[in-house]
Amino acid sequence: MVENKELIKVVEETVSRDDVKYVIGYKRGTYGFQIKPAFAYSAEDAKEFFYSPLCSKNLATYPLLEEKLPLRRGEEAEHKKIGIVVKGCDSRAIIQIIQEKGLEKEDVVLIGIPCKGVIDPKKIAKRFPKQSKFVDVEENNNDEYILEIGGTSHKIPKDELLSDVCKSCEYPNPPLYDILIGEAEEEFQPEHFNRVDELEEKTIEKRWEYWEKHFQNCIRCYACREACPLCYCKTCMADLLEPQWIRRSVNLSENTAWNVMRAFHLAGRCISCGECERSCPVNIPLMELNKFVEKEVKEMFDYTAGLDTEEKPFLGSFRPDDPEDFIS
Amino acid sequence: MEQLTLPKEKLPELLGEIGSKFELIGPKEENGFLAFRKINDPKEVNLDILLSRVPPKSLIFQQTETLFTYAKGKDSKIQTPKIDESVRVIFGIRPCDARGYDIIDPVFMGKKEGDYTDPFYTKKRNRSILIGLSCNEPDTNCFCTSFDDSPANSKHVDILFTDIGGTYFVEIVTEKGEDLIKNLSKIFSKATEKEGTIRKETEKTAIKAISRKMNTEGAVEKLNKMFEHEFWIEAARSCIGCGICTYLCPTCHCFDMQDESTLKLGGRVRVWDSCMYEEYTHHASGHNPRPSRMNRVRNRVYHKFNYFPKNDGIFGCTGCGRCIDYCPVNIDIIEVIDKVKEVNV
Amino acid sequence: MSTKKNTELEEFEPNIIGFLCSWCSYAGADLAGTSRIQYPPNVKIIKVMCSGRVNPMYIINAFQQGADGVLVSGCHPGDCHYTHGNYLARRRVATMKKLLEFLGIEPERVRMTWVSAAEGRKYADVVREVTEDIKKLGPMTKIRREKEW
Repeated sequence: MVENKELIKVVEETVSRDDVKYVIGYKRGTYGFQIKPAFAYSAEDAKEFFYSPLCSKNLATYPLLEEKLPLRRGEEAEHKKIGIVVKGCDSRAIIQIIQEKGLEKEDVVLIGIPCKGVIDPKKIAKRFPKQSKFVDVEENNNDEYILEIGGTSHKIPKDELLSDVCKSCEYPNPPLYDILIGEAEEEFQPEHFNRVDELEEKTIEKRWEYWEKHFQNCIRCYACREACPLCYCKTCMADLLEPQWIRRSVNLSENTAWNVMRAFHLAGRCISCGECERSCPVNIPLMELNKFVEKEVKEMFDYTAGLDTEEKPFLGSFRPDDPEDFIS
Repeated sequence: MEQLTLPKEKLPELLGEIGSKFELIGPKEENGFLAFRKINDPKEVNLDILLSRVPPKSLIFQQTETLFTYAKGKDSKIQTPKIDESVRVIFGIRPCDARGYDIIDPVFMGKKEGDYTDPFYTKKRNRSILIGLSCNEPDTNCFCTSFDDSPANSKHVDILFTDIGGTYFVEIVTEKGEDLIKNLSKIFSKATEKEGTIRKETEKTAIKAISRKMNTEGAVEKLNKMFEHEFWIEAARSCIGCGICTYLCPTCHCFDMQDESTLKLGGRVRVWDSCMYEEYTHHASGHNPRPSRMNRVRNRVYHKFNYFPKNDGIFGCTGCGRCIDYCPVNIDIIEVIDKVKEVNV
Repeated sequence: MSTKKNTELEEFEPNIIGFLCSWCSYAGADLAGTSRIQYPPNVKIIKVMCSGRVNPMYIINAFQQGADGVLVSGCHPGDCHYTHGNYLARRRVATMKKLLEFLGIEPERVRMTWVSAAEGRKYADVVREVTEDIKKLGPMTKIRREKEW
């Protein structure tokens, strides 16, 4: 259990360090069960920080969104660290980015949070609709969420609101951190991501029917890409015009190409935070694609993303004994 | 304005008849959300969910529109696609979404005689008959009342249906609506005065149920003075630059033109674009006048709450709340405007 | 590009795109030709410098533009002109095939093979097999662009 007091104290201390520019964390949102990313530039700003099972957002996206404005002659770039509050998956995202040389370890200060899983915003909003004020949720030791709405207290079994990706999370504790808040969570046996199994049992035609139905709705807002901490290419292939990999027309063919491309480019990189699926405005079950690829990469190549900063990138490396039973 | 009533159980009959005579578009549930689609069976219509995920602007200002196609080489020719001009009925559109059309009409249809009119938008707009449906139970982030609108506003539709319990109170607003009703069999009955009162009461209850309010008073003048304010850096800090807020907005209407071609054939398409993307303002020279997220978030707010009022005398927001509902990082336009008012210039 | 159906014979002639590496497989195809080995004309060859050059998006793009199958061919492991390009290609194609299968696109439509410059006969055999396989699967329309341009 993360004590907010402790979190605020740690953030205050971190942001007061000379070599830290700012700290990114969570604050309460404007309505319902929404949370907002918070940026603390001073100890004063840290007071609004908080952590609860609602804090699903992966903040590892932000260090790479930092805009480097052009420098005047004689000016030197500021080398200051960015502090980030990270859960298990967020920490793995940072590891993966460091592995790919997108960031250096020295660029960030990681405030680790042992995570017990986060609430799926869609599930909780469906359960308690029309909340115009922010409602906080706490977790007790009996695997229940406790929340108070309009004076009545509700107890809900954790299983009903927990994000699907969290159920199959293998790394609730941040593998990489500078400061850890509270005690590390005990290891637990993760469930299999059964949405993938269900799909795999279907026939090939049924599977295409399923994806066709979803891809047809894609509006190509690219929220999946922007929300993903690992989609940080300066220019995405989808935006290139010369060569144009994917046409801008929105139709089944181009939408499928985009979704295949996104999933493929995350092969051996996706750390299963579920951000893409959460932000998709047309409910495309993107995590099923990511989880499937993650599983296959693990089975075929014994490779897991986001655990070791020194590991070689999956698609940029090979082993001579990689499986080749499909080649003849 | 003619006022009629229709018992609820007769709605499928009505929709069936409309569907047999014209093209019928209506709200349909798909993958857990509402979308405006062609209705073949009245049973498909879902009126329980308030707003469609993608606003019905996509029916008229389509996400992908082929403007013309061409062939290269000896037999080169340019062909413009034929635009269907037969009557199309859009059923179940909410008053705020219908108002969205009125807000972007000047952009595509011109404001005065002699202005360029976009044939694709204009023809699709003219062929559409809007049958609105009042919202009896507004959602969390509805704030249409902040723009002198109401969840049962009949101004922007041709016919408005209001659920008054067991029956629909039907208002025929325009001539287009009258023509449509004349073409249908007589299943409507005249509305009584009592039913008129219930309709007004329903509207009042719905207005009361709207809990969020945007205070737009003086926003235009305030924005005039704070273009360079550092507030915008703060406001945009959490923006991740996806296009949800603009793609799901009933008044956002930016588009991009693309030539898509193979060796011999090609077409020019118009696709939605979003000012939240970096490449939106990216020049061929490599220069980008809106280089950072701050510029882009600022542009979105200015367009809706400063440029629109100055150009058209109307806010570019209908208060549907979609951008608040689906923003992955909870950038709340109501909060942004509130904060704008607090800023010291 | 479009799949032309020979209506008289009622037989479907598939369109197959072959990405052949310049050093081994393309030379192998050449050898098949100079040795006058008969094989079906369905594979349209695109020469690439190395099988490692084949971006898996090429495969998707080929399907979009009307291909019914894709053949990726490179040097045998250990023989790559650039030492390890084919190893990288192997990982990528393996992952892409799995992903396609999961999406409901027959993975048999993507075929990878090693053909050296001396294996003209093998190249002809591969082309024959691929053509037969794709013929059985029929035209690939799932992600093909609706409009020809």
